[in-house]
Amino acid sequence: MSELFTVTADWQRLPSNAAKAKRLGALAINLPLAVAAAVGAGLLANWGWPMWLVAAAGVAWTTWRVVRAGRWARSFAYLEREQDLLITSGLWNKQFSAVPYGRMLSVEVQSGPIARLWGLASVEIVTASMASNATIPAVTTEVAAGLRDRLIASGEAQALPL
Amino acid sequence: MSVSEPQSSTTDDAAARPAERPHPLTPLIRGWVVLLAILIGIGKEFLPNGSDRDFRLPPIELIIGGIALITLAAGLIGFISWRFTHFVTDDHELRIDTGMLFRQSQRIAYDKVQGVDVVQPLAARMFGLAEVSIDIGSGARPKVRFLTLARAHGMRDYLLARAHGVRPAEVITHAETGSLLTGLSGHDQVLVTVPTRTLIVAALTTHELLTAIVGLVIAAAAAAWVGHPWIGLGIAVPAASAIFGLVSSRVLKQFHYTLSRRSSGLRITRGLTTLSSHSLPPRRVQAVQVSQSLLWRRLGLYRVDLEVIGFSISDEQDSDKVSSIMLPAGSLDQVRTCLDAIWPGSGWEQLTDRQVPSRARWLHPLSGPFLRWGHDGRFMVTRHGWLVRRWQVVPLARAQSLSVHQGPISRRLGLADLRIQTGGHQVMVNAEGLDTVELATELPELCRLQRQRVASDPTIGPDPVGVGDPAQAGPEVVRADQAVETISDSE
Repeated sequence: MSELFTVTADWQRLPSNAAKAKRLGALAINLPLAVAAAVGAGLLANWGWPMWLVAAAGVAWTTWRVVRAGRWARSFAYLEREQDLLITSGLWNKQFSAVPYGRMLSVEVQSGPIARLWGLASVEIVTASMASNATIPAVTTEVAAGLRDRLIASGEAQALPL
Repeated sequence: MSVSEPQSSTTDDAAARPAERPHPLTPLIRGWVVLLAILIGIGKEFLPNGSDRDFRLPPIELIIGGIALITLAAGLIGFISWRFTHFVTDDHELRIDTGMLFRQSQRIAYDKVQGVDVVQPLAARMFGLAEVSIDIGSGARPKVRFLTLARAHGMRDYLLARAHGVRPAEVITHAETGSLLTGLSGHDQVLVTVPTRTLIVAALTTHELLTAIVGLVIAAAAAAWVGHPWIGLGIAVPAASAIFGLVSSRVLKQFHYTLSRRSSGLRITRGLTTLSSHSLPPRRVQAVQVSQSLLWRRLGLYRVDLEVIGFSISDEQDSDKVSSIMLPAGSLDQVRTCLDAIWPGSGWEQLTDRQVPSRARWLHPLSGPFLRWGHDGRFMVTRHGWLVRRWQVVPLARAQSLSVHQGPISRRLGLADLRIQTGGHQVMVNAEGLDTVELATELPELCRLQRQRVASDPTIGPDPVGVGDPAQAGPEVVRADQAVETISDSE
């Protein structure tokens, strides 16, 4: 049914560290948010039961994201073809995108503090469209550097006018 | 003054075409805005209002003296800035030199000119003057203001002809002024005009107005429920002014809308107080959206929006903001004319030949029967929407990337959405509720099509007219043709 999003053997997967980084990232973002929301609710509701409700929801959401992080990272795959890059991702909301190298304006490689713990970096292809979403969230820095160089080289070779 | 005269740097070229100054009335028109602002500010400050009963106006001599002083200063500054503004159209570029203390020299190579607009703000229009604003593909637009209307039109025609690669000696400028109301002259082939009645009817029945009114009613109901009239007033006043602003901008800004064609390209002329005339380079159109709101279905009206890179970037001056509306309201025939003008022979209506499976109605219960899509290798067309029906046309060679989305319910039903990302951010091309199997077989082809070069693409506008036979026209024409190619390459 979903051969649209089928991933064959030649697709690249994210390294196993990516799930760990994603988990820690989810914790680092969600926990403070949950605490802030709970404190806010507590202030509004005079430290009554709504605060505990919000706190419970926050903890549940964080746990869910941490648990799902592994499966999410495993669902992500990309394929460098001759003229375009294919990306497929998502568990519930599946997404497939194809970006021709010729449309690429630049390649951004980013590595935040959490990603650096595992030597990971994200690679993003920037096109003239704001809606283009072509980001590979976590690969090892060597792979990222290689990917960046290959993408730029093919982008220059195949550049298409706007 | 120790600084040298601006002409001194341009001795050789200036001999052929002398440096020109804007029209001597320029400082007056630019000062007019300042004076108006002062008068309004003073009026607000000094008009006796109920709260201060024993408030006294300062002596009348002081007020008049102050206004005169400020006006004089503004006039002096305006005069100096006019005195030190020069522009030259020489063989290779347009040069605009401004500034007394801080010299600024803008050089615009002709082959970088994407479009030239002639804008007439109200004050300038009263004196028959106009501003020339040049689109070079970036956010900041070089401007020459103000010129007589005939000179502005002549300059626009010259710049556009040079941008199309016509040699300077061959340029024929249509220097006549044209109609005062529309700014059109006999050389224009009028393609579409929108009568005022249609504009007013369309503005009163557009879905934007309806949503604003529904919002207002809800706010009024909420205010009545809360039971405090002041809250209602606080909502009603801004909402009413927003509604008024919407209707007036749709009518006044689009007043006497005319799409016309002349040798130098397509042009849209519109506006009641501020008459604007801008050229529309089909090469830069990324996508088109035709939409029809609920009430317009009965009236048979449609609206056409364009996605053009570099448009709708506004500057401090409102005249810079080029509307993305290509046709404010018009019949289906006018929509066809508009699309044919940009993309001749696209056949966009015939392209929506693929229906979505009937199970898509579970997910799109109201718009289900309307959903269609299709492509012919050059263009992709999608059709969707319920309250506001939308047709989206995108040349596949202009697509930046494509993506397929599928949520949990879509997966159950075996459906997916196809989106095409184009440059800019006005139009999101979206084909909803497609059959996954059909899409999966189509996808490799779509991926291939979006990698096409634009060279094989019909969106390149009509051939530059006036070049004639390239073999006769000499080497410069060939170079200029390549220049047009480099524009699209380097954009």
